[in-house]
Amino acid sequence: MSNNISFIFNSKYLSKSQSALLIIIFIILIGSLLFAFSFGSYNFSILSLIDGSNSLIENTVFYEIRVPRVILAGLVGASLAVSGSCLQGLFRNPLADPGLIGVSAGAALGASLIIVFGSSIASKFILSTFLLPLFACLGSAVVIMLLFLLTKGFGHQGVTYMLLVGIAINAIASVGIGILTFISSDSELRSLTFWTMGSFGGVTWPLLIPAIIIILFSFIFLIPVLRNLDILQLGESEAKRLGVNVQKLKYRIIITSATSVGASVALSGMIGFIGLVVPHLVRLLGGVNHTYVVIGSALMGSSLMIFADLLSRILIQPAELPVGLITSAIGSPFFLWLIFRINKI
Amino acid sequence: MSIKSENINLSYNNEEILKNLSLEIKQGEIVTLLGPNGAGKSSLLNIISGDTDANSGLVYYNNKDINKLTIQERAFIRSVMAQSQPIVFDFNVREIVEMGWLDRGNIKHANQFDRAIKMILNDCDIASLEFRKFNTLSGGEQRRVHFARTLLQLWRESKSDEPRYLMLDEPTANLDLSHQVKMMKLIKKLSNEGVGILLILHDLNLAFKYSDKIAILKNGNMVSYGKPKDIVLSNILDDVYELPLNVQLSENRIIINYV
Repeated sequence: MSNNISFIFNSKYLSKSQSALLIIIFIILIGSLLFAFSFGSYNFSILSLIDGSNSLIENTVFYEIRVPRVILAGLVGASLAVSGSCLQGLFRNPLADPGLIGVSAGAALGASLIIVFGSSIASKFILSTFLLPLFACLGSAVVIMLLFLLTKGFGHQGVTYMLLVGIAINAIASVGIGILTFISSDSELRSLTFWTMGSFGGVTWPLLIPAIIIILFSFIFLIPVLRNLDILQLGESEAKRLGVNVQKLKYRIIITSATSVGASVALSGMIGFIGLVVPHLVRLLGGVNHTYVVIGSALMGSSLMIFADLLSRILIQPAELPVGLITSAIGSPFFLWLIFRINKI
Repeated sequence: MSIKSENINLSYNNEEILKNLSLEIKQGEIVTLLGPNGAGKSSLLNIISGDTDANSGLVYYNNKDINKLTIQERAFIRSVMAQSQPIVFDFNVREIVEMGWLDRGNIKHANQFDRAIKMILNDCDIASLEFRKFNTLSGGEQRRVHFARTLLQLWRESKSDEPRYLMLDEPTANLDLSHQVKMMKLIKKLSNEGVGILLILHDLNLAFKYSDKIAILKNGNMVSYGKPKDIVLSNILDDVYELPLNVQLSENRIIINYV
């Protein structure tokens, strides 16, 4: 049908100031990338890479350790912020966050299952490249489906209801992870602890490239439905009257959130609050329509995460702070502020 | 061309809500549903708009079975204003109205976007609210914004023979007197342009002044249907509302008192 074309990204739903803001956030992202490329616990001039006067070890540090790490941080920040903003839109709930409502925990449980039981069924390479992300995605999809059932098809049930359900799901997942921790071997235990802390260290290109592809694809898959997410805010039956296929929209958001959160958690563990803080900052800056909020969240989530990771790398050298600690330190007071603000309304 | 419902039956938990109702809304005609609370007015409107399914009976849009139309095709034919839900995020008025815009994959139509919105904001007397936050508006103002969105959904550049229908469930609720009259005049203007209109009203005077046909429902039955004058002459209103009504009928005016 020809009029389907129209539902694809359409700049007329962005105001001029919103377009300008998106450009500014994009420039900040480029800046933070350059900044993060230049600093780290191993000090050398980034300019030497350009004129070729650097040593082999500097090359390795830069291309094999620092660049993939920074890219992963950006990617994970973007995918958590995007799925946060989309889930907030889908649930019509400003407090929905992949961490708070248990989606990340579901992914971590899926990943933990593979760490503990996977070694008996597949080789190490297949395991970490394919099975781990796959099970992480499945874990988050199961949680979103569970939320779907418990909230009667995402019906509007009040802001707190979903948070309570999220607490319960988080608890269930941590029981699962706890049991797995108990029966795991020493080396498995070390990997498991990693999921609960969150880190971008140790990523390599063969692990990173599939994640880049998965996450970028899920973003592209999202763009055509951003306007429908706006219309959904009028209520489900109203959206249907306006010609929105609500069922399809739900599935699309569930699939993209599950895959992007799953892929992120598989590579970096659980990192909280980015999905909550970033969309709200973006809304405070320039408005609430999803074409702007989701794209803005992708850009801002990515630069915020790159900065958080940079902090974790350089604050207490040569040791490293868990990045999840930094995002929670920023995010939890913000969460409290948000709760009080919503109560006032 | 028309929207037709035939032999609609609806029941909830063995309680019959609509009993074998048929109704037709022709192009350019205002049909109003009247009746006490719980008579089945909104249920009938929801079935005709395609929101809910009847237990039996058929709905046709321009002679096509509604079940054979996709929700997108339905959206091009009719727009609906019903009871609205609270909106969580802080959209401004313009953004809410824009949600009514249906892209038709037609560049000529798409280029009219800004002009259409400006015209409709003016028509609905909300141009001054364009960039206000929707959630800071009064109930009546919010109602007008939703009405504007409903109108935008059916907007055409010029007079169009394409059959269009508007279904409004108590559009004048929460409006002050002058805005009630303004809205009814706007509805009348649309019907003169060929839009078929299905209304639910509680104000008998507005209903009798602006409607072409009136259907009176009670307990899921259609107890009367016809032109306003004929209905008044049949003296059925007292029974329907269980209240002695004082009707003054002059040449082209019907005034109903109920005190």
